[in-house]
Amino acid sequence: MTVRVVTGTIILAATMMIVAFIMVNEPNRMTDFESGYKGRSVEAGAALYDTNCKGCHGVQGEGIEGVGPALNARDLFDGRRLSEIGWAGTAYDYVFSSISGGRPRASSAFSTYPQRMPTWSSDFGGPLRPDQVRNLADFVMNWETTAMAQPAETPTPNPNAAGTDLETELPAGDAARGDKLFNGQEGTYGCFGCHSLAAGEVKVGPSLAGIAGTAASRVEGYAAEKYIRESIVSPSAHLVEGFQDLMPKTFAQSMTKQDLADLIAYLMTK
Amino acid sequence: MAIFKLHLPIVDDIKQKGLKPALLAKVDEGVTRLTAGLGINDIRSVLRGDPAPRPNPRVKPHADGFWFHMRPTYYHNLVTPLYPQFRLGWLSVYFMVFETITGVFLMLFYTPSPLVAFENMLNILSNVPLGLFMRDLHRFGAELMVLAVALHMLRTYLTGNYKKPRQFTWFTGVLLLLMTLGLSFSGYLLPWDQLSLWAVTIGASMVEAIPTPYPLNLLGDQWFGDQYFIGTFVNNLVRGGPQFNDNGLLRWYLLHVLGLPLIAFVFIGVHYYKVVLHGHSLPPEAEKVGEDTAKRVPMDQRTYFMPDIITRELFYVVLVTFLCIFAVTLGGYHAPLEPHAEALITPLHTTAPWYFLWLQGMLKVGDKVFWGLIAPGIIFNTLFVLPYIEVGPSRRYADRRIGLSVGMVVCVTLSMLTFMGTPWYAVSSSADQEIIAEIVPQTHPGPLRATPWDELTVGTYEAKNWEQAPTPGLKGLLEEYEHAVATAQAKDKEGQFKNLDGLLIIEEWQDGLKKITVRVTWQDATGERTASQDVFLHRDSNYGG
Ligand code: HEC
Ligand code: HEC
Ligand code: HEM
Repeated sequence: MTVRVVTGTIILAATMMIVAFIMVNEPNRMTDFESGYKGRSVEAGAALYDTNCKGCHGVQGEGIEGVGPALNARDLFDGRRLSEIGWAGTAYDYVFSSISGGRPRASSAFSTYPQRMPTWSSDFGGPLRPDQVRNLADFVMNWETTAMAQPAETPTPNPNAAGTDLETELPAGDAARGDKLFNGQEGTYGCFGCHSLAAGEVKVGPSLAGIAGTAASRVEGYAAEKYIRESIVSPSAHLVEGFQDLMPKTFAQSMTKQDLADLIAYLMTK
Repeated sequence: MAIFKLHLPIVDDIKQKGLKPALLAKVDEGVTRLTAGLGINDIRSVLRGDPAPRPNPRVKPHADGFWFHMRPTYYHNLVTPLYPQFRLGWLSVYFMVFETITGVFLMLFYTPSPLVAFENMLNILSNVPLGLFMRDLHRFGAELMVLAVALHMLRTYLTGNYKKPRQFTWFTGVLLLLMTLGLSFSGYLLPWDQLSLWAVTIGASMVEAIPTPYPLNLLGDQWFGDQYFIGTFVNNLVRGGPQFNDNGLLRWYLLHVLGLPLIAFVFIGVHYYKVVLHGHSLPPEAEKVGEDTAKRVPMDQRTYFMPDIITRELFYVVLVTFLCIFAVTLGGYHAPLEPHAEALITPLHTTAPWYFLWLQGMLKVGDKVFWGLIAPGIIFNTLFVLPYIEVGPSRRYADRRIGLSVGMVVCVTLSMLTFMGTPWYAVSSSADQEIIAEIVPQTHPGPLRATPWDELTVGTYEAKNWEQAPTPGLKGLLEEYEHAVATAQAKDKEGQFKNLDGLLIIEEWQDGLKKITVRVTWQDATGERTASQDVFLHRDSNYGG
């Protein structure tokens, strides 16, 4: 009986000590949980990005010419893009609300993107839950450290740009490198995002299977190479029937003559 | 003439006796009122274990006090040792109270809506002081409560306490068993993680299978254009609509925090009233067959509630509380939390909580209507009516060979069904999916996520060359991977998966983020095949391991 009372008291004291120890540790535990949870959120965001966003913003957020801006670039985090668009909140808020609501209208003042940024949050009729949008925003914001390490230069116009003139001389094309450019292993043109090479498969643009043949007959008096060249540097000049004018208009400036020649050489093998 | 006269006896007392003695006397009076009869000195003598003075003040609380009037004044010496009760009924009550206290704490931070429920859980874990602690205690207590109640039933069965005159005690016990299971199941749903969603999905699909018998099906067809309207109706009731929705969650929540506890407390009252009414039964061998002497306790066979039982129970409260707290802190028990509920992702192996595995096992045996509804219905109905149909007069073990054998067979069958409910006894899916689920399961972290992040060196690795891995963590992981591949290869008796191979590709993805591709390759009739699963791992995500 006394044994019971004494051991009981000892155990009670031990219990209170454990609880006191937990209480003292709570602030640390909560911060740890917070950062652990943030890590998991970035992981979930990465997976969501992989399925939903890489088609427009590039596999690693490097952006795709004329389709979607880079998300791993310095200007998104150092405030330049925010002030350009007149955003008063933080970069996180900007990213979060861009993803949540999308961009109602492609902002022609700043971009030439033919497709708008879709709405993602179910709050606004999109397909993702708000917590998933938060995961995505955490993932995008995780580019900040590497982006801020980039030099803060502004791009200078490219003297070696392909240009829209179809008659200037092009260097000899390398089809193997063209393959890489087309499929996104090199450069950021992202042709593969809109064009399939499987016959009949339509992405945003037509399939380019057999383009070497069809190109020759598309426009009266155009050789195949010339037609392909025009399709890339001035996509609006001749539209393929049944397609809208969605191909980016920026390649004439952003692409070097060499890249253009390589791409043409590559497509001539298809 | 005084219209208003204030009389403060304490002032007179202080004048008479002096300050300290007067205040002490007042405190003693207060304590005596609270305990309905015991003063400070009486309590101290109870705790010291002194023999009862005469006249015995310790009987008064049993007559006048609300809490003590529920408890017997004395027990038979033969029922106070561990055998025959094993304190299991007591433990069940303890956990009911324990769950109420921890549950009310969690309730303060929880909103029953699919939009925020999961976030609430994260908030409890990250922002509420003691939130994790309370959640772990609540979950741990819930599991132990199911265990305690089940064992309590088993012991009352073994010692034959359901027999006359305690048939109704048993009957209310079965009700309490259902309440306990219902409380656990409904609690399972509230975090709104994958586990919740899939548990309720399995549950709802079982009740959806309730058949609509002829001729109701014809009427249903005519009235609602639905031949299966009973199943549809019950399904809508438990899910809130054709799909699980906010109404459904609200219903389960209210059931969990209000409906079931209310009924359970009422029936615990009834159950315990009957226990005291009939007295705690003596061990079967201590009585003559057919006699029930529980209420006639000879003077020299009494253990008084005060001081013996009460100090013992206080001791148990302290001890069990300590053990629970120990388990969730130093013991490392943590309530699981899976990713947010996602109707589009079906985890490969969803398992019910362990106490429902037997049911899951039965569902694997055959069709839903019989094994999911009729068979459990038969089981519980048999439990309800058991004391009214098994009326053999003797509680002695030797006289109950058939009854005890049946009990044993039931226990063995339940264990077997429980085993069949686990993924080990699984309708396994294709070998590649099994291997991938082994390395990166959808329902818990699994070996890849538990590998230290820094040891996941960038590169491409083959599981079969695990010994060449550059870091110990990676080596262990690849060895497990190879083991999973070998197991799947051995299981593939039809030879649909030739030359199974496991590949692990680790890439640097972002600052502090790696992409890991788990790729399984094999050959089948159509040629080379692959299946992969991408996983992203962050430096801080801390899955433990
Ligand atoms: C259909 C192509 C497309 C898809 C798919 C797409 N985006 Fe965008 N996104 C755009 C375009 C175009 C813009 C620029 C809109 C503008 O400037 O008006 C943009 C802008 C953004 C911005 C703002 C960046 C800035 O500098 O203004 C963020 C952040 C963003 N997208 C994230 C995402 C995420 C995350 C996903 C995946 C859930 C995604 N996007 C999917 C096309 C897309
Ligand atoms: C935003 C999506 C998009 C991107 C990126 C894109 N295209 Fe296009 N492309 C289109 C669309 C839409 C058409 C059809 C309308 C037209 O003719 O402009 C098209 C048409 C073409 C055609 C003509 C096809 C035919 O059958 O006549 C060629 C050639 C072509 N693209 C090549 C390229 C190359 C090379 C790249 C990469 C440098 C590229 N495209 C990037 C959308 C895209
Ligand atoms: C929440 C669930 C339950 C609670 C809180 C509870 C509580 C108790 C308590 C405190 C006792 C007295 C002492 C003891 O045996 O430990 C008791 C006795 C009893 N219980 Fe339960 N019980 C529960 C469930 C059940 C179940 C599921 C059954 C069987 C189906 C059952 C059948 C009995 C019987 C027959 C007795 C009488 C035992 C005797 O006289 O020795 N109870 N219960």
